Amino acid sequence: MFPGCGVLSGQNQYLTRDAVRPHPGLEVNGPIQMENGGTPGTCPVYHDQTYSNAGQQAVVYNVSSPLKPTPLPVPPPALKLGQEGFKKVCRTEEDSPCPFPGLASGVLEMRVKEGSKIRNLMGFAMTRMQGETGVSGGGVSGGGLRQVVFTGSGRAVTKTITCAEIMKRKVGSLHQLTKLQYKVVKEVWESSEGGTSEMTVHRTVPSISVLLSKDPLDPQEPGYQPPETLSALWDEREGIESATQAACKRPLGPLPYSGFPHCKRVCLGEGVSVHPPH
Amino acid sequence: MTEPRNPGMSSMPQTAPVHTDSTSPAVEMDPVEYTLRKRLPRKLPKRRNDVYVNMKTEFRAQLARCQKLLDGGGHREICVHGLGLAINRAINIALQLQASSQGALQLAANTSTVELVDDLEPEDPDEAGEPMTRTRNNSAIHIKVFYPDPQ
Repeated sequence: MFPGCGVLSGQNQYLTRDAVRPHPGLEVNGPIQMENGGTPGTCPVYHDQTYSNAGQQAVVYNVSSPLKPTPLPVPPPALKLGQEGFKKVCRTEEDSPCPFPGLASGVLEMRVKEGSKIRNLMGFAMTRMQGETGVSGGGVSGGGLRQVVFTGSGRAVTKTITCAEIMKRKVGSLHQLTKLQYKVVKEVWESSEGGTSEMTVHRTVPSISVLLSKDPLDPQEPGYQPPETLSALWDEREGIESATQAACKRPLGPLPYSGFPHCKRVCLGEGVSVHPPH
Repeated sequence: MTEPRNPGMSSMPQTAPVHTDSTSPAVEMDPVEYTLRKRLPRKLPKRRNDVYVNMKTEFRAQLARCQKLLDGGGHREICVHGLGLAINRAINIALQLQASSQGALQLAANTSTVELVDDLEPEDPDEAGEPMTRTRNNSAIHIKVFYPDPQ
């Protein structure tokens, strides 16, 4: 299924999206040629700890049984393979469709893993985005890349968002598009008691993809965020709706997120309709 | 409620730019020992259709609460918020809601940075240590789960 799988151990991968995919819709950006963007089409296989996040589902098939796509909604009981003498042999992230269908090819894709260091990720991505002369090499345009995608799944989701937030802050005036989806992870477990039994687990983990672009994106697209909403995301809406405090039902106690005398309203949806000055 | 304890911070203009690494000065921890006390995240709005996901409540209960808001609560959209570790759970809830709606629901995720304040209280009041505060940033996600308007 995955020819040419390399076995890595949780290091960062910098890949460019390979250009074979058809791109319907708008081409926001021209293709950017990158000289050392990694090997297109590799699939990362790495050993990893067990995900134990609540709500993640796992469906077990024997190896002999045909592998079907995992039906999503019904959560089967959580499997504790590790406690039954099984050892995880390998973990493969299956290819999922690109969450940004209109994306131009050659966009820098940062795959954030659980063990990725933010300084490594950011060091690389910032260099590419700022396009400092000499570093990008090969005569790439001086302005740097126009777009970058951060993707991460499972426990790397938080780190992915942090990377995107740092980049927004450092670069400034970036349009953002955030997409969520489930990613199917295939795990092979092996009995540690010397038996030959092997199990393949299809697990779905939540994943996030954040597209940051110097060029305007479609503001109607769900998940769009205009530039410079860093602090405005909360503040402007508070100003609008601070009069309505009756919405607060619960007593203001030591509840997280409510330890403030005023209970103000916010509406995230309003930001979507803000058009970029363009 | 955090306001009286922290007059310095509360007077800070809300539009102040958020800097991750630069605002917190390098605090000298020695020789006085400090207790690090994490404050609650500062004020956040709460409508009836806002759901703040945490890691203490059971996942299923939080999912059921969201489902109830959408099904019985008469809301056409809810906002699921998660901070830090709870981001994962917030995404999970949103995706579960979407999956169980057979595609009727749409998601629109926004990310943000939330500034958090830690209090440093000296262990031993006799020593010269003064109470200090430190700010740090954490990532947050805000997912709007909604039925798209028929067009």
